[in-house]
Amino acid sequence: MPLFGELFVSELIKKPVLDPSGEELGFVRDFIVVRGEPLPRLSALIIEKKKVQYRLNWEDLSIFNKRIISSSVRAGSLKPYVFSEDDLLISRDILDKQIVDANGAKVVRVNDVKLEGFDGDACLIAVDVGMRGILRRLGIEHRGENLFRIFGKKLSQNLISWNYIQPLEPKLTTISLTVPRQMLSELHPADIAEIISQVSHLEGAALFKGLDPETAAEALHELEPDVQAAIIGRIDKEQASDIIERMPPDEAADVIADLPAEKAKEILELIEKEEAEDIQELLGHEEDTSGGLMTNEYIAYAPGLRVSEAIERFREDAREVETVYYIYIVDVEEKLIGVISLRELLLAPPDAPLSEIMETKLKTVAPESDQRVVAEMLSKYNLLAIPVIDPENFLLGIVTIDDVIDIFLPPAARKKRRRV
Amino acid sequence: MGPGIITANLDNDASGIATYSVAGARFGYSLLWILIPTTVALVVVQEMVARMGVITGKGLSDLIRENYGVRPTFYMMLALLFANFGTTVANFAGWAASMEIFGLSKYIMVPFGAVFIWLLVTRGSYRLLERILLVACLLYLGYIISGVLSKPDWAQVAYNTIVPTLKWDAEYMMLTIAIIGTTITPWMQFYLQSSIAEKGIRKEHYKASRLDVIIGCSITDIIAFFIIVTCATTLFPYGIRVNEAHEAAIALKPLAGQYASGLFAVSLANASILGAIIVPLATAYYVCEAMGWEAGVNKTFKEAPQFMWIYTVLIVFSCVLVLIPGAPLILFMILSSVVNGILLPFVLVFALSLVNNRAIMGEHINPKSYNYISWGTVVVLIALTAVFLVMTVAWKT
Repeated sequence: MPLFGELFVSELIKKPVLDPSGEELGFVRDFIVVRGEPLPRLSALIIEKKKVQYRLNWEDLSIFNKRIISSSVRAGSLKPYVFSEDDLLISRDILDKQIVDANGAKVVRVNDVKLEGFDGDACLIAVDVGMRGILRRLGIEHRGENLFRIFGKKLSQNLISWNYIQPLEPKLTTISLTVPRQMLSELHPADIAEIISQVSHLEGAALFKGLDPETAAEALHELEPDVQAAIIGRIDKEQASDIIERMPPDEAADVIADLPAEKAKEILELIEKEEAEDIQELLGHEEDTSGGLMTNEYIAYAPGLRVSEAIERFREDAREVETVYYIYIVDVEEKLIGVISLRELLLAPPDAPLSEIMETKLKTVAPESDQRVVAEMLSKYNLLAIPVIDPENFLLGIVTIDDVIDIFLPPAARKKRRRV
Repeated sequence: MGPGIITANLDNDASGIATYSVAGARFGYSLLWILIPTTVALVVVQEMVARMGVITGKGLSDLIRENYGVRPTFYMMLALLFANFGTTVANFAGWAASMEIFGLSKYIMVPFGAVFIWLLVTRGSYRLLERILLVACLLYLGYIISGVLSKPDWAQVAYNTIVPTLKWDAEYMMLTIAIIGTTITPWMQFYLQSSIAEKGIRKEHYKASRLDVIIGCSITDIIAFFIIVTCATTLFPYGIRVNEAHEAAIALKPLAGQYASGLFAVSLANASILGAIIVPLATAYYVCEAMGWEAGVNKTFKEAPQFMWIYTVLIVFSCVLVLIPGAPLILFMILSSVVNGILLPFVLVFALSLVNNRAIMGEHINPKSYNYISWGTVVVLIALTAVFLVMTVAWKT
């Protein structure tokens, strides 16, 4: 049965279906979709009469458009529809569900589904996620159009091509659809986090599982602590440890700190020993003190090292470390004695020892200093990072400016999710 | 603090306090018994939506949209929008009234309140909001203190709480129903389920959540209990008739002393501003989530136009309406309680059919015995709401 032109599913639902003699077989209840090349296509209609559902195969239709639907099968010979878990139904499984619009990096709802004739089949070509779709479903598309015209605006089409859509996880009770994984991974991690925070945690976890660990680690960091814990709690420990391992230790410690003790222990056991120790160490500090904010990834060299050697080593070490703008100078006992900025290091004569060019009037904070104090220090001395030292001058870690900037930013600019 | 306890505190908003005050002043302790069945009904209803939030991780409006399509959702959201507009107006009116008790002009304090709310949500942080909520919840203790300060006859109070009294009096019936109607509202069901879903509470921790709901519902009605007791002890014996919460606060002054009256007024101001913060915000969220529109306080007008407009219009219109001299506020609040009343059965029937849908809830659908209780509750609520609607319209017009 060829279909000419385009149709919206909402224009067909509840339409009567006639048999060859013009008798009513029932009304359209739903559509069964099967995989097809290049697009999924309709394989059958589910029609309903007197509360009984029948299956009408696509081949048995003779007319199919928004005015009339008729079949070549007579009422008596229709087969009842046998419900099957595996069937994908448009109305039940696709309409009104959430999908991810990767273009606008947001979650939208499917208001309608667009069909188009292709080689004798009716193919699903797009989903409607716009206002127009809502109005069409309510049966007031034209009135809505006129209303918009009064305000001098046009109701635009807002369609997402089916090419970009695939089910998130077939076994979820309500299927959410999403753009193909690789498209999702191309989004900025902050956008992914935003999307994850808008769907249920179950779906959020499903979405999360599809990301590569690197992207997942960045996206996880952007989420609110509650959501982090909920998501990590729902994915298995191997994958969780894989993701957490890729986070800087201070961020990893923040995530671990919010997990139930049991889960935290399991994950820590799976993480590489050295990394796990770093995280453990950070876990001992209060959250809003410099100890809780600091990271123990930094670059520290001995005072006797020459500038040229230092630059050579820096090339290697900087790969592993997030903040590289200062080189800390520590003595044999690992006590902090000086600091050199990257700029000074590059400008210094190559054969000078570091002790000669280092700044010894150090600005430092104690691990229990309040985050506000830390922020004020960074701001006052125009620093990008500040070392945290204990009373004996041991270098414990550094607090970087991006970890404290949130305190002073207006909330609109912060990563945050709705919580009323 | 759990979502159940927060929701419960928010439930005692300006209109709730007005109803309880009037009930106490008009009929003394004799309406206290109604709080026990009300608490039971509240627990039953809220436990269901809380369970749905935990199992599905979705809000009520999401579930309705996904399972019943755009049409019922659209009309339900339209009704919710209107009903919650009324609730917001009631809360701004409560704020205006409580400020006037302290001699502050409403023409200054209402716009001030509106701007404060706007800034709090658009510029403040969730942490700040949470702290304010916490302080606000503590301020509800004011009602308990003023209740104790009024020195009630505890034996009589206990008797009337346990032994039901029935009076065949139109006003008595009306207040009975109004107490139930103001305690179990449509918007709370949406609010509770999405804040539970939001928290990402998992099945294993559901028991704690249930406890949270039960404690929350009890707190709601303990506050209600003390408001009724206060007004019943001090106003009822003198036959002082009050129509609104702020009249109760003023009337308490010569009888129960400066402190009881002051505490009562502060608590009213607190409840009103809380309601005015949460109701418009929550409304904007549910409507946008159900319709698939962008939502979020950190978005701009350009990014989330529907969300921002719904939120702004609710606040600005409510604020303006309260300020118009001689505006028919009472009429408007009646209209909104009518819409609330009409909406509640739909919300409850949707909630019940969703909670019993195995495809959504799996093994966590209502057990049979539970279904009898909840359907019973719903039927009784629907019947009472219907009576309430008829009475509201007949009595006030």
